[in-house]
Parts: sequence; structure tokens; C-alpha cells
Amino acid sequence: MAKGNKQRFRQRAAILLSIILVTGFGAAICRLGYLSLAQGSVLSEKAVEQQLKDTTISACRGTIYDTNGKVLAQSATVWQVVFAPAYFKNDTQRQIVADGLAPILGMSVADVLAHAKKNNYFEIVKRRIESDARDKILKFIDKIEKEDGISNVIELIQDYKRYYPYGNFASAVLGFTGSDDQGLAGVEYQYNDYLTGKSGRIITAKNANGMDMPYNYEQLVPAQQGDSVVLTIDETIQHILEKYVQQEIVKDKVINRAVAIMMNVNTGAILGMAVEGGFDPNHPFDIADSATASAIKKLPVAQQSNAIAAAQLKQWRNKAISDTYYPGSVFKIITSSMALQEKVVDDKWHYTCTGSLSPAPGVVIHCSNTSGHGTQNFLKALCNSCNPAFMTIGKSIGAARFYKYFQAFGFTQKTGIDLPGESEDIFFKHDNEPEGYMDAVDLACASFGQNFSITPIQLITAISSVANGGNLVQPYVVSKVLDSNGNVVKATEPKVKRQVISSDVAAQLRSMLQTNATTGGARNGYVAGYHVAGKTGTTEKKDHLQGPDIEDYISSFCGFCPAEKPQVALLVYFDTPTSGAYYGSMVAAPVFGQCMKEILPYLHIEPQYTAEELSNLDIKADSYVGDSVAKAKNSIQNSGLTSIVKGSGDKVVRQIPESGASVPKNGTVVLFTDSKSAGEQVSVPKLTGLSMTEVNRIASMYDLNVCISGASSSGGNTSVTQDIEQGTLVSPGTVISISFANSSSDDSEDIVR
Amino acid sequence: MPERNNYSLHSGSSVQNSQGRTVNRRLPQTPPQSAFSGKVSKRLSKTQMRFKMFSIRLGLDLPFCLLVLILVTIGLIMMFSASAPVSYYTTGDSYYYLKRQLIFAVFGIIAMIAISYFDYHFFHKLAMPILGLSFILLIAVLFWPGNSEVKRWINLGQFTFQASEFTKFALILFFAHWGAKYFDKTSTFRYGVFPALAVLVPTVGLLALEPHFSGIVIMTLLTAVMMYLYGTKLRWFVMALAGVLVVFFVLLITNKLGYAMERMDGWGQALTYTTNQMWQTTWQTRNSLYAIGSGGFWGLGLGQSRQKFLFLPEPQNDFVFAIVVEELGFIGAIIILGVFGLLVWRGITMSMRAKDKFGALLGMGLTAQVGLQVVLNIFVITDFLPNTGISLPFFSSGGSSLLMLLVQMGIILSISRNANIEKT
Repeated sequence: MAKGNKQRFRQRAAILLSIILVTGFGAAICRLGYLSLAQGSVLSEKAVEQQLKDTTISACRGTIYDTNGKVLAQSATVWQVVFAPAYFKNDTQRQIVADGLAPILGMSVADVLAHAKKNNYFEIVKRRIESDARDKILKFIDKIEKEDGISNVIELIQDYKRYYPYGNFASAVLGFTGSDDQGLAGVEYQYNDYLTGKSGRIITAKNANGMDMPYNYEQLVPAQQGDSVVLTIDETIQHILEKYVQQEIVKDKVINRAVAIMMNVNTGAILGMAVEGGFDPNHPFDIADSATASAIKKLPVAQQSNAIAAAQLKQWRNKAISDTYYPGSVFKIITSSMALQEKVVDDKWHYTCTGSLSPAPGVVIHCSNTSGHGTQNFLKALCNSCNPAFMTIGKSIGAARFYKYFQAFGFTQKTGIDLPGESEDIFFKHDNEPEGYMDAVDLACASFGQNFSITPIQLITAISSVANGGNLVQPYVVSKVLDSNGNVVKATEPKVKRQVISSDVAAQLRSMLQTNATTGGARNGYVAGYHVAGKTGTTEKKDHLQGPDIEDYISSFCGFCPAEKPQVALLVYFDTPTSGAYYGSMVAAPVFGQCMKEILPYLHIEPQYTAEELSNLDIKADSYVGDSVAKAKNSIQNSGLTSIVKGSGDKVVRQIPESGASVPKNGTVVLFTDSKSAGEQVSVPKLTGLSMTEVNRIASMYDLNVCISGASSSGGNTSVTQDIEQGTLVSPGTVISISFANSSSDDSEDIVR
Repeated sequence: MPERNNYSLHSGSSVQNSQGRTVNRRLPQTPPQSAFSGKVSKRLSKTQMRFKMFSIRLGLDLPFCLLVLILVTIGLIMMFSASAPVSYYTTGDSYYYLKRQLIFAVFGIIAMIAISYFDYHFFHKLAMPILGLSFILLIAVLFWPGNSEVKRWINLGQFTFQASEFTKFALILFFAHWGAKYFDKTSTFRYGVFPALAVLVPTVGLLALEPHFSGIVIMTLLTAVMMYLYGTKLRWFVMALAGVLVVFFVLLITNKLGYAMERMDGWGQALTYTTNQMWQTTWQTRNSLYAIGSGGFWGLGLGQSRQKFLFLPEPQNDFVFAIVVEELGFIGAIIILGVFGLLVWRGITMSMRAKDKFGALLGMGLTAQVGLQVVLNIFVITDFLPNTGISLPFFSSGGSSLLMLLVQMGIILSISRNANIEKT
């Protein structure tokens, strides 16, 4: 028994030993091996995730400059508030932080609390807070660290916010950025890769309390500032374009936005691109048009979000490149180029307009002058914008040649402008016919620019080729991309795609268009002293925005200057004016003239006045205040002006127009000699709807000066606007700007009936 | 001294003779057939014995002693490495835990050597008083001031110790005493099972009141080991296992396990937590797994742990081995477990050759306790068992338990002095 026991004891000891060693230690080693080897990568990744704190450093987005270096878009430093909620020790801490931060951030306590309850180390609570809020938060962080022992929970990380100093200005070109600083439209989108820069990172090892570990784990990848972009857009030109387009929109109640594009005809550089009905890039999601905004507010709540989305898409849409339209009679420039290049017309060519033409059996197309223009040579037909003449020319060119030139002028391709969202043309489509096929009616309509759609940018590019001697250029809005040190990263080289027409033909056409803008249908776009060439267009639209029974029109004007050696081309177009005036010559041409009148001197294009124009030039008034009345009268007379003395004093105490202001030739300077007379005022009379002579006569009756703009010199023109409203009280001698436009019934406009 | 005969394992061996200690010579009815005793007697002459290191009386077991010293050294280094950041962040002194542990290690080693000179049979007589003291401590701890919800520690000013540390020793000692005394009768219920239950049940009951779930597990396992060794029939183990399961489920249903249950909640879900609560509960286990996983095969290098930077709470305590794996890798873990394995192997094989049954049972029990704690600790840190608080011998911070452990190692060494085994 004893021996048996002893043996059993040893046996049991051995079994125990093997159980502990083999089973116990074996299982432990297997388990350790499984975790450290098989699961190692997964687990260590998770461990690293909690140990390393990876903080993204936003890169400062590049600046957008105009061509002269004025800042159009810039990023400024703001801050983002980030939680590391895993470091909260309890809900009391979360509540303290939420209560304290919510008012500073302008968020609800519940929202902040929701962020605080996450289980991560990087929870963005609010982006883009300004410096003052940041200061408050820094104080708050200090306070809770001292008073409540909460630390490492709130962090402020540098971020950037986009500012557009000019607000709703050039928004179609600039575009805007989204919440992550990414470009969403315009140059911001197109050049996003350059502008964005590279965000950097700081990777630090943090212990579980969020403090840096005493190890050198920190790795810094600095952020690289984005490249800056220099536009071809000139802020001054852009402002002028936007100003006059906006004025016209108000005046003629244009309901479907308007566009003005100014292009350097030789390079294709866009100097200005005004797309009115745009948005403020600082607040791109707000509806900029107050009428639309208030209309949306009146809608039932259910429909509002859709309406807002539609309105946003509309205001973001760059009408100059994304919308297609029938170019109308402006396209006759292109038809003329074809005709001249193909020698379909010559000096002996003439056409007798009877007011209508039938291009195909059963189809009659009327001329705007339904009684007919009579017999015209080609120049006359162009200046009259005679539709039947151009239908005849189109027929002579033929559909095949027409389409060949249509392609050559770049209408079937995108221009390749460096802006997003460019549309393609919409040409005639016939089943079972090859591309570019036109039947007789198509060809007839196409000859005067109807029934096919192109974009405004395509049109001005094509017309620029006429202006520059036949070369089709590629338009662009960005001239240079600069890195943060100012080195040129990328420069846009002007690109000539092809020569479309010969320089002779181009020169011939330019002089015709100059005639057209001086005495022809486009004379309302004339600018005194400058040899403007241009063509009006009035497009019949088919979309009936105003209702089923009312015809909608697009009034447009495209021209360039100086006619002999053009530098800039300008296309203006107004989609659906509703005031009653809709002719291109009435709506668009004056805007063209107003813009050109300011822009050309700005571009240092020297005026070349005719003798008549010289006689009408304004004179700068000298200062006569303090002079004796006799001396003042004498010097006024010497400078070619007349004087009127008010009051009974010996010395001049006030003068109108004031010193330095411009006075029209033969204008009047009113001298006030005592304080009683100095307060004298007159009520401005109605000066519109009158001829030049009448305006001058009435103005002198009221002791007022008038400054004439528009094609006043041609017969039959009447005044259409006055800058100071009728009935306004002004001092005698005040200069009132009067614009004249041709409104006679025989205006050669291209209305298809 | 007829009583001694009962627990004299070896009879008539030369080793017994060589000592001054009087061991009753029994008639050579059993020839010296023990393979072990024969070998030793052949190799070691009296002269050799005299010049052996540590052999003032008889040599202590040098391999076991060295293994203990190796483990204490590695344990101190790794505990320091694991605790340094926590120590720094909580006390401002990176060496805080090391200093305390080092003092206890030094005293512990001195105590170990000293105790190895004591005749362990002294404890034979003290078995019952020590068991009584264990119960007193287990009761006292429930009312000891300073404990809050969990009542495990007896605080004596600077010196704090877990009552259950003492209970483990008391339990092993009791079973060694009992087993040796009634070795031939322990296969019966009356002498084998009943006394075991009589000791275990109140112990478990008192531990449950603390509560100390891991203590219950260890006590139960140690009881089972000791019963197995002294010859309890296997059917009792089957029945006991069934009984334990029943008790466990009763407690589970009545939700009396409170604290341990809360820890069990997250068992196996450290990486697949779904709720915030779960995420919090399994924080320690999850970060232990992260640490182990981060180690890979070669480890991050000594001192290079990242998880010890407050991610893994209390890395100096139960979870110290997770940091060890992170720093030294799977290979380091295998080496350390190898050292532990050698220790267990040496402890048990040496105890098999102990002079008497009491020494054999005591040595095996104390060794098994170390082995069990190592295995259970690693099961816990690898989320193989619920997180119940089982420390790793020689590694986990805790001066009193290290001291207690080294005292027990001293007892094993004392047993070794009289064991019939080659000790170099």
C-alpha cells in the first residue's frame, strides 16, 4: 500500500507538472502567439491609432488677382474647434464644456454635447471661427483647466476662409469655394489643383491624457501654400461692364440675366466678363436676387428647397459660356466673312429687298422693314441688316460651305476657355442626314443667325478673328499661375487655332462694320473719337418666358475698336428685356457705347476725333470763385463757353459747373455773386424724346448744361435717357447727361415675322 | 517518534545519514530502489558536499535559486519599465514603484535565503495555527478600515498586503500537513475530501464577501491540486466540478458576484465593444491586447512600449506582462515563460525527491501556485479569461506579495536542502 501510494504520488506529480507546463503554458504561449503574431498588425494599427495624433494643417489657398494685381479672392486665417472627446473623464466635464462653448460657437448645447460624447480623438465641432471667438475659447480652455481640471479636450486648429473683397463681382469668373475650401465653380474650380496647395500634417505621439509622450515621435509635414492665379480680367473694366449692364437690366427690365464679355482680339484674353444675375461668392448659397429670394419665401415650405436649389443653379451658371442662344443678326458678320472670302459678293453685287423672301415653297420670311429696303449693295445690306439679302447670300454660299466656315469659326467646338461648364452649340438636326446638313429654310435662317444656338463666348471669339485679321484664338481668363514666392508656375501662351479668313477679307469687313457703327444700324453703339465697328442683333426666342402670347427677345451687340487695328472686342447681350424696347440697337448698343467710352481711354487707346466731334468736346471748367465778375466773364468767354451771372455781388462766390468739372462745348457757366443767388435752384425739365436741337433749347431756357452721348449727330435720333430725373431740384448750370438713340421706324433690325 | 514514520518518504538512504538531523531509520524492508536516491549518493561524496556553495548543512537547490533570482531581476526591470510613465504622471517620480519593489525584493531575497536554512518541518507543526490565522485575516479584512467596496487589503500604515496572499500559503501548508499526516487514508472521503471542503468552503465564502473572484479561483485550483497530489479519487473531482458549476450558476442567476460580474461583462468583447459602457469596461483588456499585438515577434525594444503611457491602466500590476510582450515581443515572452516553466519543472521534480511527504506536498503546492498564477495571469491579459485581477509572480508590483512569494521560495529551497537531488 505504501509503495503503491508512493508511486501514485510520483505519477500524480508528474501529471500535474505536465498539465501545468504543457496545457497551461502551452495554451498561454499559443494565445500570446496568436495575438502578437497573427493579430499583430490589426492590433498594433489600432494601438497606433490611439497613440498617434494626426493633425491636418490646412494649406492656405492661393490668391486670385486681377491682371493688375488687385486681389479678387483671398484666404484669411480662421480657426476650427476640435474636440478629443476620448479625454473627457465623465459626463460632468462634457456638460461643462458644452455649456461654455455653445454660446461662443453659436451652437446649441445639445449639438456640442453630441460631439463631446463621441469616442474619438479628433472631432470637428465647428469650422471657421473668427479670431474674436478664438480668443474667447482660449480663455475658456484656461478657465476649465484651472477650475475643473479639464485639459487636452479642446483644440484650436488653424484654418482658412475665403474672402472675396468685392462681393458680388465677377462671380461667374471667380466662382466660389465649398465648406472644405475646395473650388466649386469658376476659376476656383478650374484651377483648384493649383490654388489648393498641399495640406500638411503633424503627427505626434500622445499618451492617453493627450499630452505629448516624452518620445521624439513628432513628425511635421508643413502645409504648402497654394499657387496664386493672375486673371486676365481687369478689375476696372469688369466694374465698368457690370455697372452699365446692371443699369440696363434695371432700365429695360431684363428678366433673364445679361452678359458682357470683353476680349483682347489678338490674344483671346478675357478682360472682363460680366454675368449679371450672379451671386456673392462670400455667400454663394444665398439667393442674390432679392426678387427671387422673396418669391421663394412666399412659396409653400415644401417647395422652397427645390426652388432654392434651382435659383442657386441659375445664379451659379456662367451665362457667358454655359448658355446657348440664337446669335441673331450679329451672326451676319460671320455670314459676311464667308461671302467675302468665297467671293459670293463683290462690288457689283446688289439685292433688291421687297420686305420678305420665300426660301422654300410655303415659307415666307419677312425683313424687319416689311416694306422693303429697296435695292442695296452689300455694304448697305449689312448696314440695313437686311434679312432677305442675307438669305440670298446664304443660298449662294450653300449649305456645305456654310457649315465648313461654321466649323472653321469654331462654333462646333468648345472654345476651350479655362472655365468650367462650357456648353456646345446646338446645330440643325435632321434624321438620316449627315452632320451639318441644312435644308433651304435652315440655311436661310442660319444666314441671319436664327434657329441654331451658340454660346456668347463662341460668338465673341469668332468675331475677334474678324477683328484680328482672321485668326481664331483660344479665349482664356488666367494669364499666370504663381507659386507662393511669386515664381511663374504656368503662363498662358495666347493660342491661335487657325486662320479662318484672309486678312484682306477681315480688313474689308472691319471697315464695313465701322460704317455700320457710325451711320448704319449699329450707330447707337458709336463712341465719339473712336473708330468703333459693330453689329446689332435682336434674337427671337422660342421659350416665352413672359407668357405664351408674348414674344421674347435677346438684344445683343458685338463690336470692336479701333476698327483699323482692333484691340478689344465687346459683346453685350440682354436676355428678355420686358420694358417694350427690345431691339439690339435700342437696348444693347447704348450699353456697348457707354462701356467703350469709359474703357477705351482706360486702355490708353487714343481718340481720333472728327472735326465735328472736336467741336462738341467737353471743356474743363476753371475756377472762377473769388474772381471779379468781369474777369470771370472774360476768361469764360475765352475758353469757348458762355456765362450767366446770378445775383448782384462783385465777386464770384460759387460757380456751376464747379472747377474741374467738364462743361460741354458752347455750354454755360453760371456764376453766383452773392449768397442769396447761390441757393437758387431750378427744377429739371423732361429732356427725353426730343431732338438734339430741342434738348439744347430747353436746357438753355433752364440755364442747364447738357452732355450728349450716343449717336446724336445722325438725323432722326431722339434723346432716350437723362441722368437726372425730371422734377429734381438742381443748381442752375448743372450738367445733365442725355443719351441719344436711333428710334426711327426704318431702323434696320432683323425681326423675323 | 512513531509519528514521523508516517511521512517519511525515503527510507534508508545515505543522504539521511549524512545529516545531523535525526531521521528515524526504518528497517530496510524497502530496498533503496529509488533511482534518484541512488544516483545522488553515488555522485556526491561527503567531501564534495562540504565545499558546495550554500551548503552549510546541505546545499540548497542552486538551479531553482538561480531561476528565482533571474525572475526577480527580469521582473524588477520589466516592472520598472512598465511603471515608469504611470509613476511619473501620478507621483512625479519615475522610480516610485521600482524603489518600493526593490526594497521588498532585497528583503525578500534575504528572507528567502534565511528561510532556506530553517527546517521546514517547523511549518508542519504550525500548519493548523497558520490556517487559523488565515481565517482570522480573511475575517479581519472585511472590517479593516480603509477598504471601500472591495475589501481585500490589510493596511498597516506603510505596509499593505492582501489577506488572500497569506490564505494561499495557509491553504497549501494545511493540505501538505494533512496529506502527509494521513497519506494512506486520503483516498477516502473522510480523510481526503471532507477536510478539504471544510477548509475550502469557508475560505471561498469569506473571499466572496470581499469580493475576490480571482482569489476564489486560485484557492479552488490549489485545493484541487493538493487533493489530486495526496491521492483523492478522480470521481470526487468530477463531482466537485459539477458542484462548482452549480454554485457558480446560482451566483450568476442571483447576481451576487457583483464586482466580478461587472468585469465579466466585457469578457471577450474588448475589441468588439458596441456600447460606450462596454468600451469603458473593457478599456484595460483592450489596451492590453493592443500592447501584445504591438509587440509582434521581436517587440518594440526594452523601454519602447507606448501603451504604458497611460493607455493601459496600472501597467505595473496585473497587466505588466502585456507591456513585457510589447517591449520584448513574442520571443521575449517565450523566454520568460520558459524560465517560469523551468522553475515549475525544477520545483516539482525537486519536491518529488523531498525527504518526506510533507516536504514533497508543500514544495509541489507552492510551485504549482506559481505556475497557476502565471498561466491564469496570461489568460487574463490575453482576454482568454475575464479580467479578475491575478498578479504575475515576480513581475507585478506589490511589495508584500513579492515578499510573501520569496518567503515561499525560501521554503522550497529549504525543502531542497533535504531533497535527494543533484543541486548544481
